Amino acid sequence: MIAVIKFPGTTCELETAMALKEAGLRGEIVDHADFDPDRFESVVLPGGFSFGDYLRAGAIAARSESLKKIKEMADSGKKVLGICNGFQILTEAGLLRGALLPNLNGRFLTKWVYLKVVRDDTAITRNLGGRVLFMPIAHAEGRYYGEGDWVQRTIVMTYSSATGEVNEKWNPNGSLWNTAAVANESGNVVGMMPHPERASFPFSRSTDGLQLLRGLGGR
Amino acid sequence: MNPEELTKLKSLLGRDPNSTEIALMEQLWSEHCSYKSSRFYLKTFSWRNESIVMGVQEWGDAGAFKLDDGTIVVLKLESHNHPSALDPFNGAATGVGGVIRDVISVGARPVALLDMLRVGPITDRRSREILRGVVKGIGFYGNSIGVPVIGGELSFDSSYLNNPLVDVACVGVSTHGLKSKTLRAGQKLVIVGLTGLDGMGGASFASKPLDGQDQRGAIQIADPFSGKIVMDKTLQLMDLVDDIKDLGAGGIGVAILELVGELGAVIDLSRVPLRVKNMTPEQVLVSETQERMIYVIEPSKVEKFCGEFRKVDYACEEIGEVTAESKVTFIFEGKVIASIPNIAVKYRPISRWSVGERREPFVTEYRNSNLEESILSVLKHEDLVSKEWVYSQYDYEVLASTIIRPGWADASVIRLPNGKFLALKGDANPDLCQWDAFRCAKAIFAEAFRNLSTVGAKPRAAVDHLQFGSPASPGVYRDFIDSVYGLAEASKFFNVPIVGGKVSFYNEDSNGNPIKPTPLVVMAGITERRPPKFQVEAGDSLLLLGFTRGGLGGSLYQKLFGGKWEIPDPILVDDLRASELVSSWVNRGLVRYAKDVGKGGLVGALIPIIKESLGVTIEIDSIIADSTDPRVKLFSESGGRFLLVGDDSIISEAEENGIHCNKIGQITEKRTLRVGDLEIELQEVISSYHSLLEERMN
Repeated sequence: MIAVIKFPGTTCELETAMALKEAGLRGEIVDHADFDPDRFESVVLPGGFSFGDYLRAGAIAARSESLKKIKEMADSGKKVLGICNGFQILTEAGLLRGALLPNLNGRFLTKWVYLKVVRDDTAITRNLGGRVLFMPIAHAEGRYYGEGDWVQRTIVMTYSSATGEVNEKWNPNGSLWNTAAVANESGNVVGMMPHPERASFPFSRSTDGLQLLRGLGGR
Repeated sequence: MNPEELTKLKSLLGRDPNSTEIALMEQLWSEHCSYKSSRFYLKTFSWRNESIVMGVQEWGDAGAFKLDDGTIVVLKLESHNHPSALDPFNGAATGVGGVIRDVISVGARPVALLDMLRVGPITDRRSREILRGVVKGIGFYGNSIGVPVIGGELSFDSSYLNNPLVDVACVGVSTHGLKSKTLRAGQKLVIVGLTGLDGMGGASFASKPLDGQDQRGAIQIADPFSGKIVMDKTLQLMDLVDDIKDLGAGGIGVAILELVGELGAVIDLSRVPLRVKNMTPEQVLVSETQERMIYVIEPSKVEKFCGEFRKVDYACEEIGEVTAESKVTFIFEGKVIASIPNIAVKYRPISRWSVGERREPFVTEYRNSNLEESILSVLKHEDLVSKEWVYSQYDYEVLASTIIRPGWADASVIRLPNGKFLALKGDANPDLCQWDAFRCAKAIFAEAFRNLSTVGAKPRAAVDHLQFGSPASPGVYRDFIDSVYGLAEASKFFNVPIVGGKVSFYNEDSNGNPIKPTPLVVMAGITERRPPKFQVEAGDSLLLLGFTRGGLGGSLYQKLFGGKWEIPDPILVDDLRASELVSSWVNRGLVRYAKDVGKGGLVGALIPIIKESLGVTIEIDSIIADSTDPRVKLFSESGGRFLLVGDDSIISEAEENGIHCNKIGQITEKRTLRVGDLEIELQEVISSYHSLLEERMN
């Protein structure tokens, strides 16, 4: 069973749980205050505006009890995926390195983007190395930034052209090296700004999101 | 409150009202809450059909229609014009919050929003500032609460310089019926959310012109995080509550008075949870602080209900109960501060205004322009360029159900939980309505009908919003009445009931100049088949369905170049028959592009093709029209017409139905527009289409 954590202000929990079902997995929406980590093999932190994103995006949720439990799960090797606000929470909580800064143009931005998979040793990208996936972003604070040699090694997916070219032209928000998704060293904790659950249904514009979500199944 | 209303209040109470009662009744009897200038005529919309489960008769927060499987679709349209003029960000954001709470109040889950925006000229710095704030506010609220803005309109006109129009529509879905609004004595009245000092007297503020004085105290502050908690908890606890009332204009006082019906209520204002200390009972009564709701709940369920809200630190308090005694009593610290008998609660004042004559046919000076200049002016017009700057700031993909996205087609489409597809479109045409509001109202209803058919949807219901200057002006009042009759007639003709709406008067500048009459329609339709994304390519033939009629009065061409033109008289049967054909072609996969011919005429309808970096050749002699004037053929906005790319078989099918359908040109790789001997380079048009708004707004 996969926990889909709902904080007050989370907006994407319903479609995320439905997308997991579409991927052949079982997801359950759990209120952050009632979260029992022992019941779940993996965790998804869905998108939204947890606690209204007051202070900074994801900052309050990152300091909630549930994140301590999620950190323990991550340390024990369980899979953790943060989508959009979930990614922001994971960086704020220190489960992922780096930070998500306001988009360069200073605005919220919804856009369908292509993503090139550059790291295939993570929970959601196994066997997808080099693939180009199509799904939307929707965020105001998605400009990934980090300093140090480690940054390059964390990057899992980058914004690209439809054919997989990665350059500034395809960078929607000013992210360092076009970064769209990152993972921890062992690859079991992944954060991504794009929304795979919005590219997961037969009626969706793309079903590429399913390829990522399927990775949450199994050990 | 005017002297006659005060006298009436005295006679209804049988005594002198106290100041709190006057303050309360002033809100209830404001134009905004009582519809005193419009109610009489709005009854013209009372016609409905068997699928309508909530119509204008219910006079409720929203309208609704039912699908075959029992799924109910709720529609609500509202503006926040005056608040947005003073504080664009909060004004627009609270407008979104209010319309969402209205949908929740009838027991439905909000699934989509549309925004229809009208501001002053794009060249005006303050108008751009207003637009920036409005779009940011709508995005802030809609994104945070997780309801996608899937479409809308944006246009610029000096008429809206000091009085922007910010209309937001919300659609909700329920699979288990709606809340009934039938109360019983003994039920408890419960409020959630804190009451503060913002939004004092908002209803009466919305019911007069902006006077240039500091009216910012009347603005409410948006808090979508709280709105999200109210929405999520209300949807989760729907089974515990018998009825719900949004705290909108007029605050707690008006909400209770509107709620009780034949019964009464006792409310203890000292139990209302407050955001600031030492508010007077009058302030508690009329405050319009956002993110609050009132629930009607059986006594045994109150504890469980409030317990769920308190779990997320959200204020929830029982403040009174429904009584059999027919009066509404407000108590504060043990003392009665206002007591309104049912007879006064039910009374609604009526304002009668004189009705002016129809306007003279309109003549403006003709500014001579050659065909090339005319075409380029239309193609580059700011109302017709890409609105990506606006909609990219909205999370139009949240809920993962958006099928036809903003900017893709003439209507937006979402997938419903039952697997069917809901199409939505908002339409207005103030440039036409200023010359003949009756014909214009019919034309915008027909346009919405055509727009839905381009995605294959069958129109089912509509909501309207009637926006005008002061009803004290006989000409303005005439436009209002004409709009009502035009919409009502078209609604009956198309068998698409108007299930709800709003009226907004007093939209004028500080010199008393009214806005152009702006009736607005939002129409909803259903299709079984997922509509395709249109695809065109070089070599495709362009087909024009329908007969082009002269009369450029009220068109974009006339707005740009003037001249003496007839006002087109809508022929609704043309719209109906052509739309039904187009809808069936879309559903049978016979067309790859279907565009309603509307603003900018045929030239305007080419824009979605040209923006794909393609060119077009038009054979002007092939356009079947009642005039040989190329201006009529290219710029007429007469109804019943579509520009199509599709299977050749549709030409003969149209002919069999007695509708003209002609090949009028071709899509070309070369990025020019060729009309006869004229060849116009399109590169600049294409780049201005994509970048104009972005460049002007940054």
